[in-house]
Amino acid sequence: MEGLIGKGEIRIDAYDKVTGKGLYASDYGNQFPNLAHMKALRSPYAHALIKKLDISKANALDGVMYIMTGHEPGLDWDQFPKASIIAKDETLWAGQIVALVCAETLEIAEKAVELIEVDFEKLPAVLDYYAAIDPNAASVIDPEYETRPLGFSDRPGDRASNRVSPNVVGSFKMHAGDVPAAVEEAEIIVEGEFWTGKKTASPLECANAICRYDSDGGITMWSNGAGVHGVIKQGICRILKIKESMVRIIQPYMGGSFGSRLNPYVEVITALMCLRTKKTVSFQFNREEVFTGAPSNWPCITKVKLGAKKDGTIIVNDYYLAEEIGACVNNTFFSGRLSSSGAVPVYRFPNLRMDTCAVATNTVPAAEYRGLGCPEGEFGIECLVNQLADELGMSPVEIRMKNIIDKGERDAFGELITSIGLKKCLQSVADAVQVEEMPEQDMGVWKKGRGCAVGGKQNTPLGRSEAEVWYNSDGSIQLFISCDENGMGATTALAQIAAHEFQVPISEVKVTKGDTAITPYDNYSASSRTTYNTGNAVILACEEAISKLKIEVARVYGLHPSKVEIKGRKAILVGSYVQEVDIPSLFAPTSMFTQGNWGLQKGTPVIGHGLFCPAPIHQWDENGLSDRVWNWFQYSAAAVEVAVNEETGQVKVLKIASSADTGNPINPKLVEGQIEGGVHMAIGFSINEEHVFDANGKIANANFSDYRLPTILDMPTNDNVHAFINPDPLPDGPYGAKGMAESITIPVGPAIAHAIYKAVGVRVTGYPMTAERILALINEKKAKEAAK
Amino acid sequence: MERMEIKLTVNGRKHTLYVSPDRTLLEVLREELNLIGTKKGCDDSNCGVCTVLMDGLAVKSCTILIPQANGHSITTIEGLEREDSLHPLQQSFIDHFAVQCGFCTPGMILTAKAILDENPMATEEDIREGLHGNICRCIGYKKVVESIEAVRDGEYKESCGEV
Repeated sequence: MEGLIGKGEIRIDAYDKVTGKGLYASDYGNQFPNLAHMKALRSPYAHALIKKLDISKANALDGVMYIMTGHEPGLDWDQFPKASIIAKDETLWAGQIVALVCAETLEIAEKAVELIEVDFEKLPAVLDYYAAIDPNAASVIDPEYETRPLGFSDRPGDRASNRVSPNVVGSFKMHAGDVPAAVEEAEIIVEGEFWTGKKTASPLECANAICRYDSDGGITMWSNGAGVHGVIKQGICRILKIKESMVRIIQPYMGGSFGSRLNPYVEVITALMCLRTKKTVSFQFNREEVFTGAPSNWPCITKVKLGAKKDGTIIVNDYYLAEEIGACVNNTFFSGRLSSSGAVPVYRFPNLRMDTCAVATNTVPAAEYRGLGCPEGEFGIECLVNQLADELGMSPVEIRMKNIIDKGERDAFGELITSIGLKKCLQSVADAVQVEEMPEQDMGVWKKGRGCAVGGKQNTPLGRSEAEVWYNSDGSIQLFISCDENGMGATTALAQIAAHEFQVPISEVKVTKGDTAITPYDNYSASSRTTYNTGNAVILACEEAISKLKIEVARVYGLHPSKVEIKGRKAILVGSYVQEVDIPSLFAPTSMFTQGNWGLQKGTPVIGHGLFCPAPIHQWDENGLSDRVWNWFQYSAAAVEVAVNEETGQVKVLKIASSADTGNPINPKLVEGQIEGGVHMAIGFSINEEHVFDANGKIANANFSDYRLPTILDMPTNDNVHAFINPDPLPDGPYGAKGMAESITIPVGPAIAHAIYKAVGVRVTGYPMTAERILALINEKKAKEAAK
Repeated sequence: MERMEIKLTVNGRKHTLYVSPDRTLLEVLREELNLIGTKKGCDDSNCGVCTVLMDGLAVKSCTILIPQANGHSITTIEGLEREDSLHPLQQSFIDHFAVQCGFCTPGMILTAKAILDENPMATEEDIREGLHGNICRCIGYKKVVESIEAVRDGEYKESCGEV
């Protein structure tokens, strides 16, 4: 049988999903007739003091079981996921929980929330980077700001008083080469400041969890959160101090995540309520709460200065980045290092200085969103590379071909690039959209333009992945894994890997997934790591099972195990009196009276276990440099043709081509789906999606009527959507594969920005590129021209 | 609220229910009839994961109060699969990889059925017009359109008729 790697095998979960039979966490409510329901009272103000909180009337309501407030005894709120911290005396964002009710029915819980009496005193709030970075800004979370050292070279601060914004809560710096000298040496400089909007990943299944109180005092949870072992179970055990044996987490099908469910902001608090009430409880966010009470992405502000030679060789990048992280108290996660990581592995910057930080604001605490800040962090660089090409009279393709890192080179951190197929990616999308040619202007007030960009994203060498595989006595195969299946198809790809190793069709492999009582440890599916990490673990598990099987078969036939090859149900023997054996026939029947049950026995599988951990990073030196900061890199290129309405500023994407360097794809059809889905998601946040705040600092568009996700009409027609895979095999990936799902979104925004420039001559410096903003730029340009 | 008698035909089967009139068709399908293939996503008829067919027309069940459905015939995703085969649209969605997380899939398939039932020769433009109330976050929409076009073009044995 031919191998299965690189084959478009049908998804193993597709039948469950097209028939509606697949259970999602939010479908489990029906199984518990006495399910209790949680409902949150949330702050209507971005920043306020709680002057009075009276729960007595709510508590007196029939059917109310428990009301939790910030004064709940015995808790260390600082340990909780930030979006689930109940406010004590002060609310830090509009949407923060002030009180959490648990009642016999949802209706009673909602009624109780209405009966809670609370008086707020509004405080000054900072809602974005610009307000937060001011040296005299209101402090979001740190009143001790006077003691902070002044650490940044390019940050607004009152140097006389050594006073820095109290909202700067983390920093990272690196310097490779000699940036000031290279800026002097450059023959052309382009620079700019770029911003990006705050968005919510908006998976279609709202965040939810159901937690059952078990008779032995333990808990069993079904949730659509990610990371059953590494995030949810570890989080609950650590924060609520429960024995690991008493916590079981099950992840059914997930209705999307895009990174947003990597944070257990529903799970820990639901488990806590379950333990307090000793009842089976359900916490179902509604759509508004997914905006106001669940983490958003973190927008980035960048200030970028690129210097080049006249021939287009870029010699320097002086780069500042700030992550705006919302009300993240006790920040240890953010420093700008994650978002700025994309500035390193794409271009050959011999001189690169990065000065990055994180700033807190009175908005919902930020957490992971597909790309981990790289789409935001690379936007400005890509815009400036396009501008540089324009100013030098080069094509945007040509300038990139000159500056993109080649395989075998080291990036500015000093890391060896072992896999990069980016030039091929760029060429394929440029050809598909004919990006170097001007489109015909045949749409009246709609002006057409074309643009392209590229992007790269690191894989963080994260955690540990395990897999277990059973070769059953009838030759069927079972795979046990705990990676997340957000929808990306990882379980299919991993089943494909197991089937390939045993040389059987994928239908012979049954996957059991995501149950901490049954399936082995995996941290979570993050950083596009699942195919790589869990994939390597699955190969190791299969190899161990196959090796054990070979020994057993070899014993029967008096051979060295190396003379045995396992092909599904068959063993091929070399040098024996038989050439081929049906393996299940070697499993001895077992009865109640059988004795001496050694060796292969019916009903007992041969088990293999696999464990894979990427090599750890090497701590960076005083210049922020290291030969191993990240693990490997995924790349993507995009080219678009847009039409811009000169009179309204509206932008339509008419054509889009996107290409991914996936390493060798395990399943190209799944990769194609990730590419098409990725560009669609990026079109949404590049043109339309962003949080808009009202006077109280509350998200004013926390619903799908006003926060417009891209519909099918926002996508080009099918003939105008192109997905290409241009693999450069990753030497340490399973069969040369690497992850790819995050890189897709990176180049779409800057490609659109350049296409807008080509269409109507205005340079966009941020996204979403809404009609309102584009029209303002067009009007500004007209006014300038008129003034001349 | 005082319960009222509601008569519904769901997937060909007649039901008489006594439910509060302030409940939505979505809630009744999921909670009373255990038809959990119909999903809940936004509560204001903008995402389309709760789409069902009411007398053959695609409707968002989250914004239909149960009295509005009284006496009507409802088809949910559970009503499409036949005894020994899938509905052509279901099979086509599988074959064309139009499924990722799958949360939008039941609503997408039912809307697709309504589109093709109304116009068996629906063009890509017609399909786009018909599907624009169904949001997908994972797959984009290209493979969804391809799946529907394959059924339209007769690539699957059975016609896309009423179930």
